[in-house]
Amino acid sequence: MADVPHGLAVPRGFRDILPTEARELHAIERLLMGTFASYGYVPLEPPAVEFATGALTLDERRVLRFLDRDGRLLALRPDVTTAVARVVAQRYGRSDATLRLSYFTPVFREEPSMRGSEREYDQAGVELIGAKGALADAEVIGLLGDALARCGLRSAEIDVGHVGYVAGFLEELAPERREASAGRIRDGDLVGALVAAREHGLPDRRAGALEAGLRHRGSDLSALRADAPAGSVRALDELAALAPLLEAAGVGGAVRYDLGFVPALAYYSGVVFQVTVPDLGFAVAAGGRYDGLLGRFGGDRAATGFGIAVPHLHQAIVAEGWAVTDEAPLVILGPGGDDIATLRAATALRGAGVAVAIGEVAETAGRPTVRAKVVDERHVEFEGSRRTVDELVAALRR
Amino acid sequence: MSRPLRLALPQGALWEETLVALEAAGLATGALRDGGRRLVIEAGAVRYILARPSDIPTYVAHGAADAGIVGKDVLLESDADVLELADLRYGRCRFVVAAPADTLDRSLDEYRHLGSLEVATKYPRVAAEHFQRRGIQVEIIKLGGSAEVAPQVGLADWIVDLVATGRTLAENRLAVVEEIATCTARLVANRVAYARDRERIATLARKLEDWAGRGGSASSDARSSR
Repeated sequence: MADVPHGLAVPRGFRDILPTEARELHAIERLLMGTFASYGYVPLEPPAVEFATGALTLDERRVLRFLDRDGRLLALRPDVTTAVARVVAQRYGRSDATLRLSYFTPVFREEPSMRGSEREYDQAGVELIGAKGALADAEVIGLLGDALARCGLRSAEIDVGHVGYVAGFLEELAPERREASAGRIRDGDLVGALVAAREHGLPDRRAGALEAGLRHRGSDLSALRADAPAGSVRALDELAALAPLLEAAGVGGAVRYDLGFVPALAYYSGVVFQVTVPDLGFAVAAGGRYDGLLGRFGGDRAATGFGIAVPHLHQAIVAEGWAVTDEAPLVILGPGGDDIATLRAATALRGAGVAVAIGEVAETAGRPTVRAKVVDERHVEFEGSRRTVDELVAALRR
Repeated sequence: MSRPLRLALPQGALWEETLVALEAAGLATGALRDGGRRLVIEAGAVRYILARPSDIPTYVAHGAADAGIVGKDVLLESDADVLELADLRYGRCRFVVAAPADTLDRSLDEYRHLGSLEVATKYPRVAAEHFQRRGIQVEIIKLGGSAEVAPQVGLADWIVDLVATGRTLAENRLAVVEEIATCTARLVANRVAYARDRERIATLARKLEDWAGRGGSASSDARSSR
C-alpha cells in the first residue's frame, strides 16, 4: 500500500457512490427523465469539460479549472444552463424556436475545504427556451411539482417569488446606486440592503413597504400593493396572473408566494422559485426565468427552467421512507445438475423477463431477492417444492 | 407548529444582552439562565443551541439551526450563506486598521518604497477584502490571539482588529488608520428555514428590531474591555 500515491483516498468533495445508493439514484433518474419526457422535453448531454471562459451563472471561484496540454484553460462543467445557452446559440440560431431540453448529469463546483461540501453531484433539470409569459412559467413549475411528486416527495413546498418586486423599489434610486442594495439582498444581507437603500434616498414609506414585502409569505399578496412602486406592482400582477395557472397545473396546494425569496444568482429576470422540505437546510430544487442570459451567446431569448439537486432530493425522499419499487426481485439461482442445465434454466428465466444471477450474490444493493435451485434445465426447486421454469415465472409475477 | 424553532445563541461577549433581547421578544429564557453546562436547551416552543460565536454561521447555513444571533463581525469573517434579518444594535464594535502611533508616517513611507505592508490580524478575510478593495498590496499574517502586540515586536507594520472603546489600542500605542466597518449583533436565519418557518422567524425579527429601535439593552456598550 505504501507505494500507492495518496493511498486509497479520493480528493475531498468527491466520493464513491456505492451500489445501494447508485441503484436508488438510477431509479430517481428514470422517474425524473420519464416525467420530463412526458411533457415533451428531450435530453441534452453537453460535454463534462468546457472552456473556462464560458461560465455564466457562477462566481469563477466556484469553478474547477485546469490547463490542458495545449495550454488552454478548461473547466469542469459547473452547471448545465451555460452549456444549454451555448448549444442553443450554436445549433438553434432562429430566435423564435421553442426548445424543451432536459438533463440528468454530474456538475462540479469548487468548495472551500472543511465545509463538508461535495464538489461533484448529480443535477437534473429542464430548460424551456423561447417561451415567455405566465403559461411557460406555469409549465415549468407544474413540471417540477409533478416530477418531485412522482419521486414520492410529499413534504415539498414551492416558494414562488419575483425578482421584479425588489427591482421595482430599487428603480426609485439612481441607477448606479441600485446594485449596492440588490447585491446585498442576493447575498442574504437584508439588513444592509435596507440601510443602503435608505441612505441612497429610498423614502421611508417605500423602505417600510419593501421590508414588509421581504417578510411576507402566503397566498394573499394584495396587502403588498399599497405602498409599492409601479415596477413592483407589475411583478405582483404577474404573480396574481400565475396563481390560477398553477392551480390548473395541479401544484396550487404546494405553492407559497414568497417575495423574500431572492436567488443568490444575478441573472434571473422574472418569476423565480425554489422547493424546500422541512428537515433539510438546503433547497431541493430552484429555478426561474432568465431572459437575458442567452443573450451573452447571441440574441436574447425568453427562457425559464429549473435544476434539481439530486443528492438533496434523494436525502429528502429516503427520510420520508421512499424505496425503489419499480424493480422486480432478482432470482439467485443455485447451480444444480450440470453447468449446461444451470445456464439453460437461467436463459429460459431471463427470456421470460426475470432477472437471474447464478451462484452467490454478496451485494444486492437493496434489491429484493428470491432463491431457487436448478434441478434440471426445465425445473427448479423454489420455496421447498419442485417447479417448472414457467411456474416460477408465474409465481414471481403474483 | 410541531417542531421547536432551533435558535443558536452566542456564548461569550454577547450572551447577557442576547438574553435580555430574547426576553423582550417574549421568549422563555429561564432555562438558559440556569442551564448548567448543557449546550442544547429546550424551552417551550424553542430549542436553544449554545455555540461559539464563530460557529454560528456554520450551524445556520447547514440548517442545524433555523436561526441564530451573532455579531456582524463574525458574519464578515465567515462567508457562510445565511440571511441577515434584523439589526439588534448591541455588541457594537468596529473593525479598524491600526498602526503604531509614532511610526505611522514611516510605515506609509515604507509602503511607497517597498510597495507592500505586513498586516497582522485574527481576521484574515476581512483584512484581505478591505485592502483588496482599497488597492493596497499587503501580506496578511494570521494570528490566533491579540494582534496589538505584533507591531511592537516587529512582526507586522499594521494590524486589523476589532475594537469597542479603543482603550486596548491606546495602551499598546496604536492609532486607528481607518475604519473598515461598524458591527452589531444580528438575527440570522437559514434560507430554507426562513421560507418554511416564515411566520415564527419573521415575527421574531420584527419583535427584536422593535426592541432594538426602542433603545434595546440599557448597557449597549458592554464589550468595553477591548
